[in-house]
Amino acid sequence: MWRWIGRRARNEQDLRDEIQFHLAEETKLRIDAGAPEDDAAAAARRAFGNVPLVQERTRDTWGYRALETTWQDVRHGLRLLARYRLFAAFSILALALGIGGTTAIFTLYNAIVLRPLPVHDPGGLITLAIQGGGGRANSFMPYPQFEAMRAKNQTLSGIFARTALPSLNASAQGASDIASGLAVTGDYHATLGLQPALGRLLSPSDDRPGQANVAVLSHAYWQRRFGGSPGIIGQTISLNRALFTIVGVEPKRFFGVTMGVAPDFTIPLQGVPDVSGNRLPLQAAFATWIEVMGRVRPGVSLAAATTELDGIFRQTSLAAIATTTSDGDAKFARDVHIVVASGAQGGVSGLRNGYEEGLRLLLMILGGVLALASLNIAALLLSRSEARKQEIAIRLALGASRTRVIRQLLTESALLAVCGGALGLWLAWRGSEMLLRLATSAPGALPIDLTPDFRTIAFASGVCIISCLVFGLLPALRGTVIVGNFSRGAVSPRGRRLLDRSLVVSQTALALVIVMCAGLFIRSLQKLWTQETGYERSHVLMLSIDAGLTGTRGPQALEMYRRVLDELRTIPGARSASVSTVRPVSNSYYLIDVVTQVGDRRLTQEAGIRVAYNQLGPGYFATTGTPMVAGREFDGRESAGAPKVVIVSEQLARQFTGNPVGQRLMIGTNDAREVVGVAADTRYARVKDAPRAVVYFPYFEQQAPRFPPSYIIKYSGTAEETLRAAGEAIARVDPALVPFNGKTLETQTRESFARERLLASLTIYFGAFAWLLVGIGLYGLTACTVAQRGREFGLRMALGAAPSHVRWAVLRESAGTVLTGLAIGSAVALMALQVVRTQLYQVDPADPAAMTGAIVALLALSCCAAFIPARRASRIDPMAALRQD
Amino acid sequence: MVMRGRDDNRIDLLQGTLDMMILRALAWGPQHGHGIGLWIRTTSDELLQVEHGSLYPALHRLLRQRLIAAEWKVTENKQRAKYYRLTPAGKKQLTAAQSRWDQLVAVVARVMRPA
Repeated sequence: MWRWIGRRARNEQDLRDEIQFHLAEETKLRIDAGAPEDDAAAAARRAFGNVPLVQERTRDTWGYRALETTWQDVRHGLRLLARYRLFAAFSILALALGIGGTTAIFTLYNAIVLRPLPVHDPGGLITLAIQGGGGRANSFMPYPQFEAMRAKNQTLSGIFARTALPSLNASAQGASDIASGLAVTGDYHATLGLQPALGRLLSPSDDRPGQANVAVLSHAYWQRRFGGSPGIIGQTISLNRALFTIVGVEPKRFFGVTMGVAPDFTIPLQGVPDVSGNRLPLQAAFATWIEVMGRVRPGVSLAAATTELDGIFRQTSLAAIATTTSDGDAKFARDVHIVVASGAQGGVSGLRNGYEEGLRLLLMILGGVLALASLNIAALLLSRSEARKQEIAIRLALGASRTRVIRQLLTESALLAVCGGALGLWLAWRGSEMLLRLATSAPGALPIDLTPDFRTIAFASGVCIISCLVFGLLPALRGTVIVGNFSRGAVSPRGRRLLDRSLVVSQTALALVIVMCAGLFIRSLQKLWTQETGYERSHVLMLSIDAGLTGTRGPQALEMYRRVLDELRTIPGARSASVSTVRPVSNSYYLIDVVTQVGDRRLTQEAGIRVAYNQLGPGYFATTGTPMVAGREFDGRESAGAPKVVIVSEQLARQFTGNPVGQRLMIGTNDAREVVGVAADTRYARVKDAPRAVVYFPYFEQQAPRFPPSYIIKYSGTAEETLRAAGEAIARVDPALVPFNGKTLETQTRESFARERLLASLTIYFGAFAWLLVGIGLYGLTACTVAQRGREFGLRMALGAAPSHVRWAVLRESAGTVLTGLAIGSAVALMALQVVRTQLYQVDPADPAAMTGAIVALLALSCCAAFIPARRASRIDPMAALRQD
Repeated sequence: MVMRGRDDNRIDLLQGTLDMMILRALAWGPQHGHGIGLWIRTTSDELLQVEHGSLYPALHRLLRQRLIAAEWKVTENKQRAKYYRLTPAGKKQLTAAQSRWDQLVAVVARVMRPA
């Protein structure tokens, strides 16, 4: 570039010198022939011709012409933008918001849905799932089948299994915190083809029984917890009181293979018993708990791999029938097959499943907003090109070619697009992180890599170019139509006004769809909040503890939980307290079992009632404010030796004949219990799920706790005080116990609506933006009309028309435009908004309230937007208007 | 490009003719722009009066086509001037142009004065 500029300057100087020399020679020649000095110089110039023109023509031969004209156009465009500052600022801002919003959503979409794992050749990865009896694919499978596939397959170059360890008590260097872990089989890192950032990664030899425990840190955790210190290698860290040696750090951009779940530690599967205190079901052919991924050998098709793996899987399952007595297990062995899918984007991810569709929807909505912004700018440019008609006519008359003028006008548009795009990209970069926080409401570091990659950049530039063409091309083509009969004061042709008008009509229609969409999401969120759940939401605090994290297990752990509950009941402000496994709103658990006998009625395995279950402490329903329909709650006398009792939900109670209290209920194959109470229906774990059959077991009848408990406290006073008091109460039982996930039920509920809130808040912001754009568009159009028809109005008033008449004429025209737009928009909305149906809760896409609201909002706005110019029209001084030219 | 006869009758110089004449002028040896113009004028007995300026775009075009090369030298009068000379490609081009021109003249002459 600099060399080019240097050469360019040298050429220029050469040419000047050359011409100078020529003129000097010529002058000398003429003086020698006897002419006076002055005449000679003038004659030499005359003979030479137009010096700047010669320079210009010569420059053309250097071939920088295209660049030079572009540079000229850019400078010209910048000068114009500087002159029309308001217009420029508005257009750039509108574009930046449009492009920025779209790109921010795309960044999320890219990171969550499109981007392959940052590993070697992600295209070769596969993820395995099991599917049987026409059900949905399930990514969890039993271990023996995996082991058989690993040993016998010929089609894969690597295969590994993994299981998540959601919370570990990690202590090192004298401090402890709760970290998340992942346990993997030895081929994990090698199959992914990762290189360590430090030390070494796991190898198959680490996963052999009897090996010393080792752990690998994620890069993020290494930075966060150890400040990126290289001295960490070889140090010991305790995970739930079991010692592990840190051997390495994973590469920087790697966040694990499950989108949205970023493990801080990766340890070999054989180390899990030391961490969890339970033996792994490595021999159980029907316990589904590991997730499997692999890498196909080059040249092997997915189909070939599927056939082979399915063969091995089924062979192992069928061979294991002999070891089981359960009908369900035998059915599993007969029906379940392996399905293989591409694993380039990693394993099945709840985050991806939850957001993929919503993000696609938002992308569409924001695309609409951007289209709206582009149309708006197009309309503004169009009215400006009207004002510049004279300039353009003169330039065309002076011999500029139409293409040249179009090019220049397009350069101006491109300048707007580039400025808006750059600002938008910056907004997107800042905004996507904010959006993600809004979406996941996760505290701390977000386990998603949002750095822009080529896809994001390509997307943003593509969007930029398209919008530039939308708003630039039309006015450029329009503005340069040969205006031979152009004269000042001529009434603009009808066609042009029609074009302006249709631009505003389409803006109105688009805005209506967007605003209505926002309305739908608001209504849906409202419905969710006001949904009757069967429990009281306010003044309820929940917090979890896990004795396993401090190494306490079995009956001691249960005893500890009981003492914590007793302590919690004594804290000031606690009106009542209890314990459960599954919280009223939960994203961690959804427990399912099957009821096989109701009262005296026995059900076959196939006809069994699928129930959700929970484990509760005494006084749970009093704490949540759920009434007992019949019988009683657990009273605190439940223990391992006591008679086995159960509470059922109303839904399940309907399966009994007569009062269920006192009747028998059989869960699974051998768990018979007496029903002691019927609780009113509540929504289990999710606000959206309809009430279902639920079985409640006593938490404290267990020998050893199967799941760590979540305490629930009904408090008076503030949540902060209660949380602090609860922390102190827990510390009185064991100072090593760390409460986690302390949240009010309201907060937990709000977080469970994260996706709905994301959709609603974004569509509200951008709906408002669209609304405003339409107002500006309509105002611009009306003002322009008034300006153009000023003389006409003046004349009419001079001839006796009342000002109100003129005002009405203007308003009528605007009303026509707006109503047409609204009519088209309504029709489009009714069709297009069907796509949001799956994202709505108990709201129809054609919701009349949302539609009315949107129409009223737009009508009110357009009244304001049209009224101001209309009033101006009615105040035109007839004499001034007529004297105008 | 326009050339003027003595009586100011405008005749459009045929496309490429000026280029050809420049190459011809340089066949005698390196020359600067003014010298080339002077040679064309004197050789044509002042009948061809090329607008002096129009030489330069042509010269730069030929430079770009690498038919001629340029070099700053000092003249006999101790002045800096840009001297052009033919390149081998330019020499070849001149020969080709010369024979094409001869053909053209002969053919046009035959058409204009049929025997």
